[in-house]
Amino acid sequence: MLTRGNNNNMAQVSPSSGSIIVADWHRCKDSKEYFSKILHKKRRKNFGLLESPVMPPHVAVDTVHYKIFLSGKSGVGKTALAARLAGLNIPNMHYETTGIETTVVYWPVKLRENGRVLFFRLQLWDCGENALRRFDHLLPACKEQVDAVLFLFSFTDRTSFDDLSNQIAKWTGAPVGRVVKLVVGTKFDLFMHCDVAERDVRNFQETWSVPVLRVGGEVSDGLGDVASLLNCLAEHLWHQDCVSARRHSQQETGTVL
Amino acid sequence: MMMLQHGSTQLLCLTASSGVPLFTRGASKQLPFSVIGSLNGVHMFGAGHGVVLSSCETEGGGKVVWRVFQDSMMLIVVSGGGQDGAGDSKEDEVRLQRLLENVWSCMVLVLGQDELTNVRNVERLKRDLRSCFSLIDQLLEDRQEGILGNLTHCADSLLPPNPTLLQEALDGFTQAADSEFGCLIVHGRIAAATEKWWRLAPPEVVLLSALIRSLSASGSASCDYPVFLPQGSPTVAHRLLRFQLLPGADVCVLCGPTPSLHSAESGMVGRFWTPLVETLRDCLAVGEHSLPRSVSLRPDVLALLLINRETRRSVSCVRTSTNRPLGDPPLPSKARCWEILKLFYIFSTTRYFNQEETLCVSPEERAQRANTDDFVLGFSHQPLQCYLVTEECKSYGLQTPQHQLFLLAPLSVPTFALRTVATQTLSDIVGATGF
Repeated sequence: MLTRGNNNNMAQVSPSSGSIIVADWHRCKDSKEYFSKILHKKRRKNFGLLESPVMPPHVAVDTVHYKIFLSGKSGVGKTALAARLAGLNIPNMHYETTGIETTVVYWPVKLRENGRVLFFRLQLWDCGENALRRFDHLLPACKEQVDAVLFLFSFTDRTSFDDLSNQIAKWTGAPVGRVVKLVVGTKFDLFMHCDVAERDVRNFQETWSVPVLRVGGEVSDGLGDVASLLNCLAEHLWHQDCVSARRHSQQETGTVL
Repeated sequence: MMMLQHGSTQLLCLTASSGVPLFTRGASKQLPFSVIGSLNGVHMFGAGHGVVLSSCETEGGGKVVWRVFQDSMMLIVVSGGGQDGAGDSKEDEVRLQRLLENVWSCMVLVLGQDELTNVRNVERLKRDLRSCFSLIDQLLEDRQEGILGNLTHCADSLLPPNPTLLQEALDGFTQAADSEFGCLIVHGRIAAATEKWWRLAPPEVVLLSALIRSLSASGSASCDYPVFLPQGSPTVAHRLLRFQLLPGADVCVLCGPTPSLHSAESGMVGRFWTPLVETLRDCLAVGEHSLPRSVSLRPDVLALLLINRETRRSVSCVRTSTNRPLGDPPLPSKARCWEILKLFYIFSTTRYFNQEETLCVSPEERAQRANTDDFVLGFSHQPLQCYLVTEECKSYGLQTPQHQLFLLAPLSVPTFALRTVATQTLSDIVGATGF
């Protein structure tokens, strides 16, 4: 048996960008038939829980499901990030999320190794910080079977950046198990009000060895502005699955011997 | 005095005992602090002399309505008046009174009564109250066409073409979620609900519908929202689980600690609802008309609101493509029809018909507010029908022990024929759907 401690080592070996999945695949011609399934009239399609992208019968594509929790201070942009990643209307006014809201994002990905295409079904769990404080049952519900956590900070709010280490520390405890951790800096476009220096971000990244991604700015065709984040997330999730599958099979062999 | 721009509405909330401002919403230009202070002061002055100040009118057509809830919180609404054709001040006052009731209910819904009535820390309360802004702003804007429940306190409903199938699925799903309270909302209107859901207080049903609409509008896939029921459970929170089955169709249950959102979604949603995808799509196709195609309305019906007085449900629709013979005066726009329907509802219920008072007001308070005109009290009998002819259209109201119907017809319909149009429309709908 492997000790749990190893799993939670913050210095996880993360895959380098584009090493596992094809980066910028949405720009390639052969991706068209897959991406067209998540678009409707040039906008992202909103899927109900009873729906999913449908491919013609001769193109069999597996869908892999993941649960992702969005963590971060109130007002940092968790709800807006979920809406942006799903291609939904981004609320133009900030309202507190007073419970859990989940958003489903379908994203086609091509594996570099064997050219296999997968649909990633990423369910983003967003819960307002005040609600988490007021109601005890919400955080355990968010943690149940979670595969990844996105830690959010806002480039316009220094305290949200300083709070990151606290937030991450909460997720390194033993019961959490193996969880992909990424940091996302929001409102990167508002450089006039930027409160977090590039150097600080670099230092942070080195200390914690957690990738830091940036979002903000114009919402364009609904793919280009989210592709890098979604690909990065997908890559980490897939990598984690491969690692635990390998470990699992080693374990199996051990038992047989 | 003209306090606000015409057509804008501002809401103020203060602590009742000390007059500390807690929040203001609405109207882009906030009222100056001194005005807020005076509005609170004049109410307090009255109270000191044993007088309850409930509303007043300004020379510029504006209106102020005060209301204290649970002796703890004061809500004041200031309306700039002169809203394009917003009727006279009576209509305005009814609308604003309703608004205050609804705002208070939604504050209780989100925060619970205890937090609002036992204020320990004002700064903390101010911060927590922000959680209600989304719903409050939605009430203030009141922009959703075809949603009349906030005014009538009857649940906006949609009559699906295949009600039995949906009802069975909903009952099974609700039971599997360890709950008795379940409802299916299509286009923001209730298409099916369990028996217990209908036994919630009517304003609660309306309030939950409003919450579900706002959650649904964000496009999120599912929710786990703590909610307090203003009348049924004002101090203990329940969980409202909501699942977006198809865009525009949401199923909800009110439940206790179990099941978790994750397990309900992965274990139950697909099992109960996948077989019904096509039925749900048919239901979505009913669209804003809220009546199935089996109901054929007379061509001279422009818009209607039908209330079932017993079940406190309503269906309403505005028809867009009524063929207008050449030379007839232009028909009011769709948005205008909804507006006229609301105004005619207030007109009829304050002047002629019984206002079905919902239970959220104590008898003393009811007497204080006295929305019903003296005119009505002077009648020795209960009017059953009424009509109104304006420059835009003709309106007809009809009341039976079971139903109230409010109907708009084009000016080309002779006034003497309105009664026939209305009675026939009522029997057409009730006959075809059993509503």
